[in-house]
Amino acid sequence: MSRNRTPEQLSVAELVHFGPLSRAHAFAAENLDRQVSQVNLVSELDQIRQCEPHAAVVLHGSAAMGVWAVESALRLAWERNASCVIAPSEIAVTSSTAQLAERLRVPLFVVDDPPNHALELSATVADTEAARARLTARCAVLFGDRSSVRDIVGVINTEVPGVTAALVTKDGNVIAGRSAVGRKGGGRRVQVSVAGPDGQQWAELVAELASSSPSWVETVETILRLARAPLTASIGRSRLAVARRTARERLLLEILLNGGDATEEAEEAGWQLTGRHVAVVLRAAGRTVGADDVDTPAIVFTWRDSFAHLPIVPVDGAWVSWWTARSIEPGHVAERLRQYLAEARLPIALTAGVGVPGEDLVGLRRSITEARLAAAVASRLGGGSVELFGELGPRALLACLPIGEIAAAARVALNDLIAAPDAEVLITALAALLDCAGSTGQAAARLGVHRNTVLSRIERIRARGVDLDSPDQRLALHLACYSLLSTRQWQG
Amino acid sequence: MRTISVDDLPAIIAGSALLCSAAGDTSLDGLHNVTAELLRRGGPVSLVELSSLEPRALCAAVGVIGGFAPMIELPPSGHEPELAIRALEARLGRRLDALVSLNAAGPNALFAIAAAAALRLPLVDCDGMGRVLPLISQTTYAMAGLSIGPLSAVSLAGDVLVLDSDQHRSDSLLRAAMQAAGGWMLCAMYPSTARQLTTAAILGSTSRLLDVGRLLTTATDRGSLLNGLASTVKARLIGSGRVVELGHATRTTGARHYPAVPTSVVVDEYSGTRRMIRLEGQSELLLAIIDGVVAGAVPDVLCLIDRHELRVLGMESVAVGDHVDVLILPAAPTWHTPEGLALAGPRAFGFPVRHPGEGARR
Repeated sequence: MSRNRTPEQLSVAELVHFGPLSRAHAFAAENLDRQVSQVNLVSELDQIRQCEPHAAVVLHGSAAMGVWAVESALRLAWERNASCVIAPSEIAVTSSTAQLAERLRVPLFVVDDPPNHALELSATVADTEAARARLTARCAVLFGDRSSVRDIVGVINTEVPGVTAALVTKDGNVIAGRSAVGRKGGGRRVQVSVAGPDGQQWAELVAELASSSPSWVETVETILRLARAPLTASIGRSRLAVARRTARERLLLEILLNGGDATEEAEEAGWQLTGRHVAVVLRAAGRTVGADDVDTPAIVFTWRDSFAHLPIVPVDGAWVSWWTARSIEPGHVAERLRQYLAEARLPIALTAGVGVPGEDLVGLRRSITEARLAAAVASRLGGGSVELFGELGPRALLACLPIGEIAAAARVALNDLIAAPDAEVLITALAALLDCAGSTGQAAARLGVHRNTVLSRIERIRARGVDLDSPDQRLALHLACYSLLSTRQWQG
Repeated sequence: MRTISVDDLPAIIAGSALLCSAAGDTSLDGLHNVTAELLRRGGPVSLVELSSLEPRALCAAVGVIGGFAPMIELPPSGHEPELAIRALEARLGRRLDALVSLNAAGPNALFAIAAAAALRLPLVDCDGMGRVLPLISQTTYAMAGLSIGPLSAVSLAGDVLVLDSDQHRSDSLLRAAMQAAGGWMLCAMYPSTARQLTTAAILGSTSRLLDVGRLLTTATDRGSLLNGLASTVKARLIGSGRVVELGHATRTTGARHYPAVPTSVVVDEYSGTRRMIRLEGQSELLLAIIDGVVAGAVPDVLCLIDRHELRVLGMESVAVGDHVDVLILPAAPTWHTPEGLALAGPRAFGFPVRHPGEGARR
C-alpha cells in the first residue's frame, strides 16, 4: 500500500514539528528521520506483530498496562521496524525505559489521550500536503496580525516547532529572534533576504532546523518567504516613526537653542532642561552630512540601545545629546562615548565632541555650542575620536576655519616658496618658527635639528621672498602654513 | 525414611527463602522459635513418601493465609496447629493419618513441619504449589479437582473457624476473617486421601527444599552455588547486574483480587549489550522482561541472589545498587499445562502476555 503513496510521506520529525506529536513528551528523540506510512492503534501487545513497517504504534488498553508493557511494545515495534511508539501519560516512563528506547532507536512519545492522538495522527499522515498547508496558513495569518519585527520573527519561533529563527543584518548583528541561530552550525539552515523600505537588501531571515527532510526544508522556506513582506512593512513603519519623531525633536531643539520658549514641549519629549548638563555632539568623521541623512535612523537606534534615557536629535549634519546629572563630568562622558563609538554597530564612522558642564537651559545652549566645536576638531582626526572642549581651549576656533579655501589662497600667495624643491621642509620650519614666536633655538628643538640648520632654512625662506619680520604679515603667514600643512596642498 | 529435626531448620529456612521472592531472607524469628520448640517437644518429624501411605489414608494440607508483616508482629503461639487439625477432624468425623504442605516454600514450609511436630503426625513429602502463590486456591490440588473444604482456620487469639464453601468463596471469606483475626490464620484444608493426592500433589517438594537450603547454607562461592542450584532445581541464570530502579508504578489488567501492590525491579546488566532486566511482581516476582522480551514468567520461580553475600534478596530487602544474579527456577510440569497456566500463569495475574514456554508459535 505504501508503494502507491507519493514519496512525500511525513517523517516522525515532521509529526513532531507541526503535527499532533508536538504536544507529546518525547524519549529517544534523536531518531526521528523515519517516515510514517500509517498509524496503528493497538490495544493488545500481540497486535503489534501485525503492524506494517514504518507504522506509528499507538498503545492503549492492555497494551499500555504498565512500564513493562511499554517496554514490550518498544521491542515488538523494533522487530516490526515501526517508526515510533506512542504511550499514554499515566505510565510513568523512567530512565530505564528511555534507555531501552534509545538503544532500540525507537522514538517513544507520551501523550494524554492516545486514541484521540491516533485519530489526529492518521489524518495528518493521510494528507501531508494539507498538514503543511495548514501550518503555512496559520503562520501567514499570524504574520498579518503582528506589527513589530520582533513579534513576526517570534511567530516562526513559536509556531514552527523544531525551528529557531532570527533576523540578522549583513554584518551578523541579530535584530530579532534567537541569537543562538547559526552559532553552533549543527542543523540545516534556511535563509531568505529581507529588503528594507528602500528596496535594498536590508537583512537575512535565518532559520535553523533541528532535523530536516527535503520537503520540510521547502515548507520552512515558504514560511520564511511569507514573513518577508510583513518584515519590510514593519521596518518601514518603525523608520517612519523614527523619522517623524526626530523631525519633531529637531524643530524643538532648534527653538530652544535660538532662545524660544518650548519648555512644555521639551518636558513632553522627556528632555531634562534644568540641572547640570554636559552636551555631546556626534559628527561623521572627515565629512559633513545632511540632517536628513539616511543613516540617521540607524544611528538613533544604536544610540537608544546604548543610552536609552538620553535624547538624540539630528541638527545641522550632527547629532546632539546631553547628560544631565549633578555629578556628571566631561571626562566620564568622553569615556562612555569612546566605548559607544568602538562597540556600537554604526552605519558610518562617527566622532564626538563634549562640551563643558553648564547649568540649566542657558548652560546647555553653551555646552552644545562647545561640543559642536570640539566635534568639528574630532572629525578631522578620524572615526572614534572624542574631543573635549575644555581641553581644547581656543584651539577649538581653528576647527571653524575654512581650511580648504585658505590653503588654496596660500598656494597663490606663497607661490615661490611652494615651488621650492624642498617646500615641505621649508614650510614645516616656517610653521615651527612662528609657533615658537620667532625663537630659533626652540624651533630647532621642536624640529629635532641643529639651530644652524634652522638659520640656514630661514635664509632660504627669505630668499623665496617671504618677509618674516613684518608684524602685518605674521598672522596671515601662520594661517597659510597651518592650512597647507593640514591639507598637504603644496604637493599640487 | 527421612526425618526433619531441629538441626534441619536452618536449611529449611534458607530453602524456603529461595522459593519465596516476596519474603526473601526476611527474618521470621517468632515462627522459627515456635517451630524449633515444637520439634524439640514432639521429636523429629517423619518425612514420608506419598506412595508409602495406605491409599485410603486421610491427609489435609496445612498452610497460613496472611501477610508477613503481621506474622512478624504477632508470631504464632504454637497452639494453632492442634486447634486447626482437631476442628477439621471434628467436622470430618475422622482422624487424620498424615499432613501435607499447602506449599513447601516461604513460611508455610515451616508451618507444615510445626503442625506435624505438634500433632506427632507424619509429613508427606509433597505440596500443592512448589512455590508461593497468593491465593490458597492456586494449587495443583484444586487443579486436580480436590475440594478445598471443609476447612478449618485458627487465629492467634484461638478463634476457630470451620468453613464449607467453594474454592473461590473460601478464599474471599477467609481473607475477610483473617483481617479481623489479626492479619494471618493457620488453615487445615484440602482434606483428601493418599490416593487422591497421587495425581494432585507435587512430589518431593519438602526434600527439594531441604537440598536447596543445604546448598545455600554451605555455599562459599558464587560458582558452586549457581552450579548446585542448576543441578538440584534446574535453576537458570538469566542475567547479572546492578539494581538501578525500584518502582510501584506497574498496573495490570482485570479486577484486582490479589492482596499485594504491584512492584517492579530493574536490573542493568553488567556486560555485553547491557540488557535491561525488568522484574514485575505483586509481592512475588511474576515476570522477567529483558529488553522488552518476556524471558521468564510465573508459575516459574524468579529470584534474586546477592552476588557478594550469596543470599536470597526478597522484595522487602532489595535496594537500588545491589549486585544481583537473576535466576529462574522452573515450576513443576503440571503448572506448564494449559490448565496450570490458566490458574497461575502470567495472565492469571493480569499480565496479558504469554508464558515463554507457552505455544511458541512465533
